[in-house]
Amino acid sequence: MYVEFLGIPRQRAGLSELEVEASTLGQLLDTLAVQCPALNELMSADGLHPSIVANLNGDQFVSDLKTPLAENDRLLILSADAGG
Amino acid sequence: MAHGYHGSYLRIDVTTGVADGVRLSDRVLRECIGGTGLGARLLLDAGAVAADPLSPESPLVFAFSPLVGSPLTTSAKFAVVSKSPLTGRFNDSLASSGFAIAGKRAGCDALVLVGRAPSLSVLVIDDGRVRLEPADDVRGDTCAAAEEKLRGRLGADYRIASIGPAGERGVRYATISHDGRHAGRGGSGTVLGSKNIKAIAVRGTQRTEWAHPRELTELSRDLSKRSFGPATAKYRELGTATNLLTFNRFGTLPTRNFQSGTFDEAEHLSPEQLSVAHSRARASCVACTIGCEHIYSLGDRAVRLEYESLFALGSLCGVGDGDTVLRASRRCDELGIDTISTGGTIAFAMECVERGLLDEPWLRFGSGDALLKAIELIGSREGIGDMLAEGSRCAAAIIGRDSIAFAPQVKGLEIPGYEPRGLQTMALGFAVGARGADHNRSGAYDVDFSDKVDRRHATLESVRHAIDTEDKAALMDSLILCKFLRRVLEDFYGESAAMLRAVTGWDVTADELRETARRIVAAKRQFNLLAGWTLDEDTLPERFLSTPLPNDPAASLSRERLEELVAEYHRQRGWSDA
Repeated sequence: MYVEFLGIPRQRAGLSELEVEASTLGQLLDTLAVQCPALNELMSADGLHPSIVANLNGDQFVSDLKTPLAENDRLLILSADAGG
Repeated sequence: MAHGYHGSYLRIDVTTGVADGVRLSDRVLRECIGGTGLGARLLLDAGAVAADPLSPESPLVFAFSPLVGSPLTTSAKFAVVSKSPLTGRFNDSLASSGFAIAGKRAGCDALVLVGRAPSLSVLVIDDGRVRLEPADDVRGDTCAAAEEKLRGRLGADYRIASIGPAGERGVRYATISHDGRHAGRGGSGTVLGSKNIKAIAVRGTQRTEWAHPRELTELSRDLSKRSFGPATAKYRELGTATNLLTFNRFGTLPTRNFQSGTFDEAEHLSPEQLSVAHSRARASCVACTIGCEHIYSLGDRAVRLEYESLFALGSLCGVGDGDTVLRASRRCDELGIDTISTGGTIAFAMECVERGLLDEPWLRFGSGDALLKAIELIGSREGIGDMLAEGSRCAAAIIGRDSIAFAPQVKGLEIPGYEPRGLQTMALGFAVGARGADHNRSGAYDVDFSDKVDRRHATLESVRHAIDTEDKAALMDSLILCKFLRRVLEDFYGESAAMLRAVTGWDVTADELRETARRIVAAKRQFNLLAGWTLDEDTLPERFLSTPLPNDPAASLSRERLEELVAEYHRQRGWSDA
């Protein structure tokens, strides 16, 4: 599956997308913490920092670390504050 | 009298140049706080709700707040409140600058302007003493040029809010500018221009005291510290312009007058791409620790660029050239016109040309030259610019042939950069907004970008979220604090109450502020009711209710669904007169 980064997460990761293997949101965040250490400041013990959100395939916003992920999914990670 | 206030406002008749101090009671101040809340109250008390907003008797209020001048970050703000010449409804536009601090030091909590000066004038307020001076030497000047000349004439310690050439010519979405910041939406600058006032110059020495200085210092220090954290990193490091790619990815970036939610050339307009050709610097408003302003070089000058300007003058007009969008944004600033209404009205005209409803073949989507030419014509009110200077709703009435169905406005105010079909809590916020479609009076997009709702399928559950964001915005606009702090405040009402207690000495609580917020929203609606509001105004243009979003057919909002949401909104508000 692919992770897409937008806004601050993109800036911290230094790339716009990354291919990873993960079957849940929790696994994916653990993987990102290793592969992109700069993203750690955007994470908390419960998942993402409140200023960051995750969205599955442009449809549903997800926060439950047990959220299942499929091989063809695209998870978007972006600043929670979308407006301005 | 409560600390943090002077306890009076200055009523200035610019026909004669005579000013009177009018007392404000503690009760009124506590009920309204300041900014939008106080402005709405003063506007209602002044009467003239039915008057033409550009008539001499229609008041224009500059409202400060108890927090202005305090060490609380982002508190140097003022609200300009009047009946809008664009919508005929309530309008409040806010700006951050030293004008707020200087205005309050003049010894009042608000300025209320009525009348019409005999000739174009500068209103000078020197520590509460008022006089009119000729403005012949700044006639036709840009906002920045007028400000510079007047500070040279009057003294560097004056803070000057001015209109540009567009405000002098009655463009209905003219702004009031100070230090490059604009009270931008709804035509506040048009109202000031109608009073024959080119600029207001103010200085003063009268400070207010804080009830609990030590507590206020601690609160301010803590708030400033938190304002440097992750909750504001987006604004500080990338600026609001970064929204463009996010919205494009979600298919909610208004493009070619809302005919699409994606723009092929969006990458060209990203902050990262713009920074390649134009060096970027950061700046802050006065008394702000966030530093959200991102200023791009353009030749030997600079231009501030926000997401709303970027979308309105970029994707909405189909223009993907960053250099052109920067030029267009700068020109709007110089002329003193709202970039959202400018872009929205031009994009509407471009679609009219595309449909054969308007015989202006040069005015095509994607043409940067056409965009820049149209802005000049609006600013000078020449040619088609005279019609476009009236806004998209009025232009649609002139063009006819059902073009109102795709005029991008609610109550006459052009829609900001959020596609309503793909962001349906925001769609409700737009529909019911007192000043029309606006993202600063309803932050419902925050809800759409969360797991609280399905952004493509609003339900009755969405309504309470829309109300919650509208109430919070009303309180922030009255305290006044910048909305970019909203995620910094973990206990929004509780922390707001603590700040207000430290400044005023009132025993105000979170629950009281919840009621205050609702009262302020109701006051804006009360103004609209008296001005002739009817329920059919709380809607969206036909395009959004009859056609799914072309790039995302699942994003569909029927008229019946929106009417249900609006009815539930009125029910939850307790408004039975709809």
